[in-house]
Amino acid sequence: MNHGMALDILLPILIPLAAAALSLICWRSRALQRGISVMATTGLMVAAVVLLVRVYDNGIQVMYTGNWPAPFGIVLVADLLGAIMVVLTGITGLATAIYSLATISKAHEHYGYYPLMHLLLAGVNGAFLTGDIFNLYVWFEVMLVASFALLILGGERAQMEGAIKYVTLNLVSSAMFLSAVGLLYGLAGTLNMADLAEKLAPHQDNPMVQIVAMLFLVAFGIKAGAFPLFFWLPASYHTPRVAVSSLFAGLLTKVGVYALFRVFTLIFPLGDSLIRDLLLGMAGATMLVGVLGAAAQFEFRRILSFHIISQIGYMLMGLALFTPLAIIGGVFYIMHHIIVKSNLFLISGLVYRLQGSYDLKQLGGVYRQHPWVGILFLIPALSLAGLPPLSGFFGKFIVIKAGVEAEFWWLVAVALVVGLLTLYSMIKIWAEVFWKEMPEGSTASVQQRGGTGLMVGTVVALASLTVLIGVAAEPVYQLASATASQLLDPPGYINAVLGDRS
Amino acid sequence: MNNPRQHQSLILRVTGYFLLPLLILFSLFMLLRGHNEPGGGFIGGLVAAAAIVLYMIFSDVKAARRLVAVDPRDLLGWGLAIAILSGLPGLFLGQPFMTSQWMELDVPMFGMLKVGTPLLFDIGVYLVVIGTVLTILLTLAEAED
Amino acid sequence: MLYALLGGFGVAALAAWLHRLTGRHSGWILALWPATLLLYFLSFLPDINSGTVLFFYDWIPSLQIRLSFRIDGLSLLFALLISGIGLFIVAYAGRYLEGHRDLGRFYVILLAFMSSMLGVVLADNLIALFVFWELTSITSYLLIGFNHEDASARRSALQGLFVTVGGGLALMTGLILLGQVGGSYELTELLDNGDAIRQHALYTPILLLIVLGAFTKSAQFPFHFWLPNAMAAPTPVSAYLHSATMVKAGVYLLARLHPALGGTELWSALLGTAGAVTLFIGIWLAVRSTGIKKMLAYSTVMALGTLTLLIGIGSEQALAAAMAFLLAHSLYKGALFMIAGIIDHETGSKDLRDTGGLFRAMPVTAVVAGVAALSLAGVLPMFGFVAKELLFESVLDDPRTWLLAMVVAGAVMTVAVAALIGILPWYGQPVATKKIPHEAPPALLAGPVVLATLGLLGGLFAPWVDQHLLAAATSAVAGTPVNPDLALWHGINPALGLSLFSLIAGLLLYRWHDGFRTATAFTDTLAKRGPERGYDWLMAALVRIAETQTRFFQSGYLRYYLMITLLTSMSLVWLVIGMKGDGLRLHLDLRDVQFHEAVLIFTLMAGAITAARTTSRLGAVAALGAVGFTVALLYVMFSAPDLGITQVLVETLTVILLVLVLFRLPGFLKLSSTALRVRDAIVAASVGVTMTALVLFALDARLYDSISHWHIAESLPSGYGRNMVNVILVDFRALDTLGEIFVLALAAIGVLAMIRLRAEDKRHE
Repeated sequence: MNHGMALDILLPILIPLAAAALSLICWRSRALQRGISVMATTGLMVAAVVLLVRVYDNGIQVMYTGNWPAPFGIVLVADLLGAIMVVLTGITGLATAIYSLATISKAHEHYGYYPLMHLLLAGVNGAFLTGDIFNLYVWFEVMLVASFALLILGGERAQMEGAIKYVTLNLVSSAMFLSAVGLLYGLAGTLNMADLAEKLAPHQDNPMVQIVAMLFLVAFGIKAGAFPLFFWLPASYHTPRVAVSSLFAGLLTKVGVYALFRVFTLIFPLGDSLIRDLLLGMAGATMLVGVLGAAAQFEFRRILSFHIISQIGYMLMGLALFTPLAIIGGVFYIMHHIIVKSNLFLISGLVYRLQGSYDLKQLGGVYRQHPWVGILFLIPALSLAGLPPLSGFFGKFIVIKAGVEAEFWWLVAVALVVGLLTLYSMIKIWAEVFWKEMPEGSTASVQQRGGTGLMVGTVVALASLTVLIGVAAEPVYQLASATASQLLDPPGYINAVLGDRS
Repeated sequence: MNNPRQHQSLILRVTGYFLLPLLILFSLFMLLRGHNEPGGGFIGGLVAAAAIVLYMIFSDVKAARRLVAVDPRDLLGWGLAIAILSGLPGLFLGQPFMTSQWMELDVPMFGMLKVGTPLLFDIGVYLVVIGTVLTILLTLAEAED
Repeated sequence: MLYALLGGFGVAALAAWLHRLTGRHSGWILALWPATLLLYFLSFLPDINSGTVLFFYDWIPSLQIRLSFRIDGLSLLFALLISGIGLFIVAYAGRYLEGHRDLGRFYVILLAFMSSMLGVVLADNLIALFVFWELTSITSYLLIGFNHEDASARRSALQGLFVTVGGGLALMTGLILLGQVGGSYELTELLDNGDAIRQHALYTPILLLIVLGAFTKSAQFPFHFWLPNAMAAPTPVSAYLHSATMVKAGVYLLARLHPALGGTELWSALLGTAGAVTLFIGIWLAVRSTGIKKMLAYSTVMALGTLTLLIGIGSEQALAAAMAFLLAHSLYKGALFMIAGIIDHETGSKDLRDTGGLFRAMPVTAVVAGVAALSLAGVLPMFGFVAKELLFESVLDDPRTWLLAMVVAGAVMTVAVAALIGILPWYGQPVATKKIPHEAPPALLAGPVVLATLGLLGGLFAPWVDQHLLAAATSAVAGTPVNPDLALWHGINPALGLSLFSLIAGLLLYRWHDGFRTATAFTDTLAKRGPERGYDWLMAALVRIAETQTRFFQSGYLRYYLMITLLTSMSLVWLVIGMKGDGLRLHLDLRDVQFHEAVLIFTLMAGAITAARTTSRLGAVAALGAVGFTVALLYVMFSAPDLGITQVLVETLTVILLVLVLFRLPGFLKLSSTALRVRDAIVAASVGVTMTALVLFALDARLYDSISHWHIAESLPSGYGRNMVNVILVDFRALDTLGEIFVLALAAIGVLAMIRLRAEDKRHE
């Protein structure tokens, strides 16, 4: 199982890193940067798919960087969850790269948009593929600084305000994370996650271990945008360029969710613990508060931002229930959500291109003028609300089924109500932006710039994926199921990294 | 630009002028010896950057830019590229990323010297650190508002 | 089978294009698809008494979700109604909406709906059924809001969607539970498993959840209010979805699950009560309406209540009555709605009071309306009569006499409604209408003529209908073979007496309906406080709660965000310490502290406090610098020279950077009051104390030795370097360093972009 030199696992990190360095070297040429961007994200997606296939066929892949044995060096580990996340990053990255060609201004391109984008992707992929808890922190930092820089790119006042909140609260997360890593190292003397899992398995009741687990919950909870730690998200996501928002919406919080899944299946498996109870409560509150937040908004991207939070609740619910089916549901939900959410943001940008506003009160009549845009919106929107036969339905169905089987009635009830309220928000957008006539005296106007075809193409591709995940849910379910089995089998992970221990 | 710093004392300017090459040399020294004694690319880079920043304070930003000759952004790009490249040779030998490769060099005066990809990596770090500090500080110093 | 179902979605997808291609006659062309379906389903008719036909296709086997379909009496009855009425509706819509700019889109949604509805009634797998169920809700939404520039249409559409999808969520949970209890999602297995399900502890929640789903869909009290509002849709939609097919989905589901869930006291009480109340309220509001479509809509509510009531009673006779009533209602109500559309189309009138004497201009329509109304009133020899007789007989057998009272009162008012619709617009003094009335074109008339005629033939040949379809349908609902022996003439019995009574009383009510309406005006105020108010209140409350809680949580102030985040984190940590913290010890031993160490710590603390308290920016920079250099000293003292040097250099550059930035900032203002500063100090101190405590706990809780001994041992032999820190940085953990230099580069790009881009934007302005 230990193909120490498998290149597959390295490429999803190396490609965007190299692309970032190259774009920096070529910072004088926009054309070169654009070319690098499309080629690198395409390559990234191919590499990601290759990796996923490799992991699916051959089991967990490991690379011992520097050829140092685990747990002394840093290992890269690709299990199914990691590989799936990398594929999703690839999809989102490619979509964003293409969409960016049409929407990012020359000045932004000149001042480092592309290197920042590549590094964000590198950070995200690094986080998904590392098997070392401190290295995870490093990738979190890459991600944080890259996203912060993307947020302030342009330097508008709203951006600054959002970015300050974003970076401050995320630094709190970093501080908690780093403290937790430090304490953990003090306890177990190691940073390798497999090694940690093995060493801490007999000490799960140790109070200090539980405190560290709690710190991880808080640190990743902030990253994931869970209640009551989500404030940074709605404060900032609607301020940057739509391509950036879309990238953030698809990936950033999901890295937090991924980290929660990783840490609380491998290092601190959730039993009937305090943390599990807390996580259950957080899941419910996150869903509810997020969806209510959206109901109060009248700005396209703000509504979408709040919905990210409520959707995170479903994923947390999958983790917190901690039954095989629930984990399957959580993984399925992540796959569905990333694509849908990125796409909705891209569509908000498309509407902006057509009418020049994000304000529901200024918009109107898009369905009359551009029925296809209407349909393109309805697919991800209804999927987000969990209507069949789109991807979101099955995600919700599995999670709720798991909740019913585990007999967490209140959580099931919350999840159902939240589904209904999600529909409410999506229908609000639909009614206001697409059905309603353009209000009189609206300041909206068409934004003239080329490349709308590229934007539509991206949106169509992602919408097709949403339909596909719904209609062909079986293979996706199989994948999620295999992933859940791996997650619930820490010894499998430990053996893959540290060699067979039995 | 009516910068008050242009009218600083001659002594400081001259000192800065003489200090500069010394500090740069010192930074290279820190970089190269880092594998065995305190130092390394990070520290070396900081020293070099500090030297140039001192020079900037003693003279002015334009002079500092002229001195560096390349845009600090290029330093960033090339530094990163070198750091990545230093990890690649092992891959061709079927070893994992970042596996270090060493060879012995007979350098006059120093004797036998072990040179390897970790040094290359450190050089990358060195360039990135200089690039970062200079990009930030020069930009801030030039900012108009 | 799969083609018959999914093909419909394909045809729907092409409909807009076909419409453009075929222009004026697109209605007839597209009607070919339902016609084909009708023929296909008719082909099952001869063998329907010989058992259920099943079709299986895999979809998501891992979740036991299969595209499995069944054709038995019940599903075939529905399938025939859906495709048969659908055929006329499509043709009708082609003419009714002729020239409408969105007709193409209309076809798309209508045909998609038709396929979804067929899916609901044919599915054998509960989850597949639910998928189609939700699709009907969405297509219904899009159709109610078809005139979407009209705000009230949008509102009605949302209401219908919200109520049905809300119920749908309950339904989904109910179905999941049912599948869990019954061990399968396949109806084929569940329907044979009724006893086990009824005895299961979860029976009551299952029933409640499923019933909730069915009631919302089928507009049972107190969810009936969305249906009349759905009349905002174009008339073909009202005729088809909101009368003949979709609203019957709930009734279908109850009938379908009757063998698995029915027959208990709870079932009978729930359905009986809701059905009777719905019936009564529906017909009451119908008599009180003057809008033709509103009146028909409320009478549909009545019919749905009747069906629920009958299924609730659950005797073989009642189930037979339900099936007969269902068929009769779909035929006459479909016809009457289409006629209402014709009146609107030809005269421009939507209100009964604006019509009169139309017989002369449109005699065919008038006759058809009369025939359909007779069936609605349940007059011999219409099929409606057969259904009504059975209804009376079933209710007479039920011990609950108040049900009988409700049903009879309902029947009386139904006759009045039938008379209002069958007589008022057509005879008497002509009333001037907006348009000059003409006889309707064939496309509009075809549907009403055929449906009304079928209603008449069904009555005349009741035993034939029974043997060939309704017996099988009733058997499917009952779960055992039933032979209801439908006949037009049941002999002279109490039911006939009630029929006669309702007919006479109904005609009397019609005669004095103006007086009745005035006399009962007080109920309007009651109705205004009805469930619709509840819905409005809920929606308003939703927005209010949403706004309040969002203002609370997302206040826009970073300090509150920071405070909540920090305090949450700290309380969670202390929660663990409080609950699980036995055995934690603060490892605090000050005996080994040297004097110079104490001095350094004191400097450090003084620097930090000064930085927080000073009112001068330069002072703050200096204080922070002092902190930084002290930390550097600490590193050196604990033999980490690399860290020390780095720290010194970074401190130096940071100070330079701060100085560069500082003189651009506005003056230092003291904005917060002392109380606020105290609060902030407490928050900050709580974090500091907690973190310190954790470190002190950790000192005492070491579980394993560090792996760093390996790094020390291997640094020179494997890493070829004596400086272990450097070997770790560039070799053992080079990946970390690689990441960090990218972080540095990122920071540089960020600063550059922030400053330069803003400067460039300014220049452009």
